[in-house]
Amino acid sequence: MTLRTVEPGKEVQIKSINTEDEALKSFLFSLGCYAGESVRVIFKKKRNLVLTIKNGRYSIDSDLASMIEV
Amino acid sequence: MRIALIGNPNSGKTTMYNALTGRKEKTGNWAGVTVDSKESPVRSQFCSGAEDCVAVDLPGAYSMSPFTSEESITSSYVLNEKPDVIINIVDASNLSRSLFFTTQILELGIPVAVALNKSDINEKNNTQIDEALLSEKLGCPVVKTAAASQKGLKELMDTASSLVGKEQMAPFNPGQIDKDSREQVIASDRKRFAWVNTLVAKVEIREEQTKDQALTDAIDAALTNPVLGILSFAAVMFLVFYISQSTLGTMLSELLAGWIDTFGGWVDGLMAEGSPLLRSLILDGIIGGVGAVVGFLPLVMILYFLIALLEDCGYMSRATVVLDPIFKKVGLSGKAVIPMIMGTGCGIPAVMACRTIRNDRERRAAAMLATFMPCGAKLPVIALFAGMFFPGEKWVGPLMYFVGVLLILLGALLVRAVTDVKAGKSYFIIELPDYKLPDIRLAFGAMLSQGKAYILKAGTIILVCNTAVHLMQSFTPALKLVEEGMEHTSILAIIAQPFAVLLVPVVGMAAWQLAAAAVAGFIAKENVVGTLATVYALTSYIDTEELALISGGSEAAAVMGLTKAAALGYLMFNLFSPPCFAAIGAMRAELQSKTWLLAAVAMQLCFGFVVGFLAYQVGTLLTTGALGAGFGAGLAAIGAFAAVAALLIIRARRSVNKETEKVMA
Repeated sequence: MTLRTVEPGKEVQIKSINTEDEALKSFLFSLGCYAGESVRVIFKKKRNLVLTIKNGRYSIDSDLASMIEV
Repeated sequence: MRIALIGNPNSGKTTMYNALTGRKEKTGNWAGVTVDSKESPVRSQFCSGAEDCVAVDLPGAYSMSPFTSEESITSSYVLNEKPDVIINIVDASNLSRSLFFTTQILELGIPVAVALNKSDINEKNNTQIDEALLSEKLGCPVVKTAAASQKGLKELMDTASSLVGKEQMAPFNPGQIDKDSREQVIASDRKRFAWVNTLVAKVEIREEQTKDQALTDAIDAALTNPVLGILSFAAVMFLVFYISQSTLGTMLSELLAGWIDTFGGWVDGLMAEGSPLLRSLILDGIIGGVGAVVGFLPLVMILYFLIALLEDCGYMSRATVVLDPIFKKVGLSGKAVIPMIMGTGCGIPAVMACRTIRNDRERRAAAMLATFMPCGAKLPVIALFAGMFFPGEKWVGPLMYFVGVLLILLGALLVRAVTDVKAGKSYFIIELPDYKLPDIRLAFGAMLSQGKAYILKAGTIILVCNTAVHLMQSFTPALKLVEEGMEHTSILAIIAQPFAVLLVPVVGMAAWQLAAAAVAGFIAKENVVGTLATVYALTSYIDTEELALISGGSEAAAVMGLTKAAALGYLMFNLFSPPCFAAIGAMRAELQSKTWLLAAVAMQLCFGFVVGFLAYQVGTLLTTGALGAGFGAGLAAIGAFAAVAALLIIRARRSVNKETEKVMA
């Protein structure tokens, strides 16, 4: 399951981040978004979703969300 | 002593820098406002005893390994410039993310003081942080601060200056790792995060934020909703322009323009006996020209005030979220919204703000297009034409901003077609900061400093330009005074004539006065107003029923001899042709390529001409039933632009095809 399909409101643990883009991966890492960490999806829209990583709130687009395996 | 301010984006570094140094650098409630390093002496009240204390503001970063150009500025500054002390600004409301970076900073061997910033927000949220324990575990002093209200700054600076020359121990030991090995670095960074998480669990007691959180969730859900979000964006922007340009702003401008008129009359009386040349220079050139520009000061100041409120409340990042899908369709990042909104104030910071866009092509496209948003200096031009030619009609101002947005979208499509057809995927992620009540004092400060800058500009560049324009129109090339009725023999007329011919398809006649104003506009856009006021000796320039009666607003329009359609065409040409030289300079810095810069200016020139042409010709057709003058020539020029664009697009397609062939082979 990816973040794209996860139910909002629940805390989920990231399994892996499926991208070849190492810079993006490292960037997500520095925000605290990496395999083993928990994140919470607050709500989903068609093209984006809002989630909390650590105590920060972010909006990501659905392409990015579907790369994050939980 | 040099103190570097380092921390995560939007942790309050620039706010602290401004408080410490008394400077007024741009702040905003989103990640990535500061894109360059800046330094300035610290105010004496904060550095007792220490001499030559300099603070350095750096762009925000999440870690020492640079992923963005701003982050590399920060890490290379620290590594190369070796500041004496680092103040690590930690957003106390997001401790664990901030401390990841802190542990890396502590390994640089430079003494560090941690500023636990935004501590007021934590107090409000009932989050408690044990600073003594945190300081002990990190091995560096920790001071609670609230930079926005200047709390804790003295203590922070005293602590920082006491550290100079001391050694800094690193609390987290990554062990021996090979920095070139990806796996080892990743493994060590994971351990680092784990260490930070354990630390945060020990020092922080956090209360679950149920009520406030639910409200933020609800607002965010509404503001990022595709329909509701776009509607609220449109409503917010409309309100900003409506207040600044149609109600409060114009009211105050009318008042100010009235005073300037009175002042001009008073000076006129004083100089009744003086030489006619000097009298006309001072009255038409200086008071008329500069006064015309200064008269619009309230509009610009109110616009800046409202934008500052908008930037401070946390709305900007939400606007990027809702516009990202639309912008993505034309090959721009949603983050281009921030330069667009900033562009309504001034194009230069707007172009610089493009630096936060990660994708190279998207960033350049945004920098090329940002100045299509009419800026504060173009506002007087809009107000002048709206007031003179369309009194009482409210659609002119909003239409200009709408056309600006439209041109950005069309321009983005063109840039995408010319640069790369098979655009790579670009991902969008943006932090949504907490909402807060905008700081009125801050917005007021921004308004005053921008107002001051506007007056300074009017008193320097605009004054010099207007004096030059006035002298050039008073003398012939043989340096004889221009005779009455022989205005076309002046130096200014002779220089401007060739440009005037180019403007025929846009205004329907070859008027050197209009051409001179448009050219002067490249030095500063306010010059369009100043020059027109000078060359036509206009005395009143703002739409008010009363003023129109006193000094004749529509009379002024008659002097220029333009039809409504021609006025609209000329206005749009000035707004959407290339910006002032200063903004072009900023574009050059951001585009970092002569080809891109040339393409940008050429595109702006073509777009300006095309919209001006369309406005005039269609307007003329609608009002008179016939096409305006210069239609054929204009159409031919546009055909030539289109041919060049088509050639470039075909070339781009071909090179892509060749690449694919290579890959296939």
